[in-house]
Amino acid sequence: CSIISEYVFSLPLTPQFASSFSNESALPPNLLLPTNLVDPDRLKRPPPPADSSLPPLRKCDAAVPAHLTPVQTWVESLERQDSEPLGVAQLHPDVFAVPPRLDILHSVETWQRNYKRISHAHTKVRSEVSGGGRKPWKQKGSGRARHGSIRSPIWRGGGVSHGPRGPTSYYYMLPMKVRVQGLKVGLSSKMAQDDLHIVDSLNIPTPDSQYLLDLIRHRHWGESVLIVDVGEDFSENILQATANLKTVNVIPAIGLNVHSMLKHEAIVLTLETVKFLEDKLLWHDERYTPLYPFKLPYSDFP
Amino acid sequence: MKVLVPEVAHYFRVALATPFHIMAALFGSTVLRRAWLGPSSLCCRTPGAPVSAAGLRFVSNAAPEDNRSPIIESTEEYKYVERLIPSSRIPTPPKHTGPTPSGWIPPADSPPSLPYMIRRSRMHNIPIYTDVTNSNRKLTLIRKVEGDIWALEKDVRQYLQEVTGKELPTQVNEVTMTLKVKGHFDKELKDWLVSKGF
Repeated sequence: CSIISEYVFSLPLTPQFASSFSNESALPPNLLLPTNLVDPDRLKRPPPPADSSLPPLRKCDAAVPAHLTPVQTWVESLERQDSEPLGVAQLHPDVFAVPPRLDILHSVETWQRNYKRISHAHTKVRSEVSGGGRKPWKQKGSGRARHGSIRSPIWRGGGVSHGPRGPTSYYYMLPMKVRVQGLKVGLSSKMAQDDLHIVDSLNIPTPDSQYLLDLIRHRHWGESVLIVDVGEDFSENILQATANLKTVNVIPAIGLNVHSMLKHEAIVLTLETVKFLEDKLLWHDERYTPLYPFKLPYSDFP
Repeated sequence: MKVLVPEVAHYFRVALATPFHIMAALFGSTVLRRAWLGPSSLCCRTPGAPVSAAGLRFVSNAAPEDNRSPIIESTEEYKYVERLIPSSRIPTPPKHTGPTPSGWIPPADSPPSLPYMIRRSRMHNIPIYTDVTNSNRKLTLIRKVEGDIWALEKDVRQYLQEVTGKELPTQVNEVTMTLKVKGHFDKELKDWLVSKGF
């Protein structure tokens, strides 16, 4: 056995992609590379430096703490496939540069999956199985083991002793601040990994899905893109373009959630969405504990 | 059968709200009892026509409705309610130059130039809390730390060494960015942090 292992370790470890046909490429056609490999094309335009001299298209509305600086990103346009960025936008660090708390992301993601779950698995207990009220044979004298009913769990066709019981609900609520922090951590993680793109508006020239796919391919945004906008009315072009696409989805800003952020590789926000998210998420840092549910009116609810 | 005069009809409609036995004492007629039970037995007759089924007809039913003025909604009085609705945001405290009479000290205008930063809580207080577990285990917890938490831990250990003369065990949680110290030292640590300008 040791002789064989010595022989195995002496072989060259590089995989041989040589094929019998000389004009074929070295890589096999069915090779699947992971999509999150660092693509050298993406490193062409680095994010704008903190001390760039460009006037920002958008400044933070809320006060930024003195020891933090706003995050700067390019503002792009969807009008043309190869258009240059329109300018620089400043984002609040308490929403887009929060420390990466993966444990909060995990707990919010599991909560999102489980709080809606109702499992309908149900088995009958020995009292619920039909029959089994009578003692099958007398206690003593028959020579067989003693039994009280034909539906006890040790019998074939009997009830299940410790099985799932009825519809069980897995509902629970994480604290509101944990869920808010999950959103902030998700946005910060996407920003830190260059997967967050800011766009001035969602106007595209054609309702063609291929245009969007070509644009995403050209800009190396990733496999799947989540487009977020404020308000219920979107332009017809973007709705039609994304209607038949499985990997590119449009949602309103109130529908932003950690599961969707993790499922899609890239996230595209408009400037109004950024303002909306900053308002809503930063309010939780400076709010009172609710005197009555927040559904009822308060004088300065965001 | 009684004939209802218009002036009495609106008394009758008001009297519908009074209990039946009081009405019976007032009027004391079986006809009225049938008329009273007619509109109240909603399970067996349609609410649209209780009056006609009971056999009584209010002569002046339609007339008072036409003479009433239309309902006007006025929004000027809303301000009396709106000023009572509470605010949901904690206000920023007014500018104070030094300690306030209650003992609250505002943070410094510019953050101190240290490798760590300790933010104030949402009520603008220093985030140092004490905990007692099993009635004999005392802990002091420093939350909301940003930056180099190990430098803070070193400074805290050194400061408490000067204050108490003992080497106190500390625990750093880098994920939640909190620092735990064995023992109750919230007053000392709060004064120390305030003197630093956090």
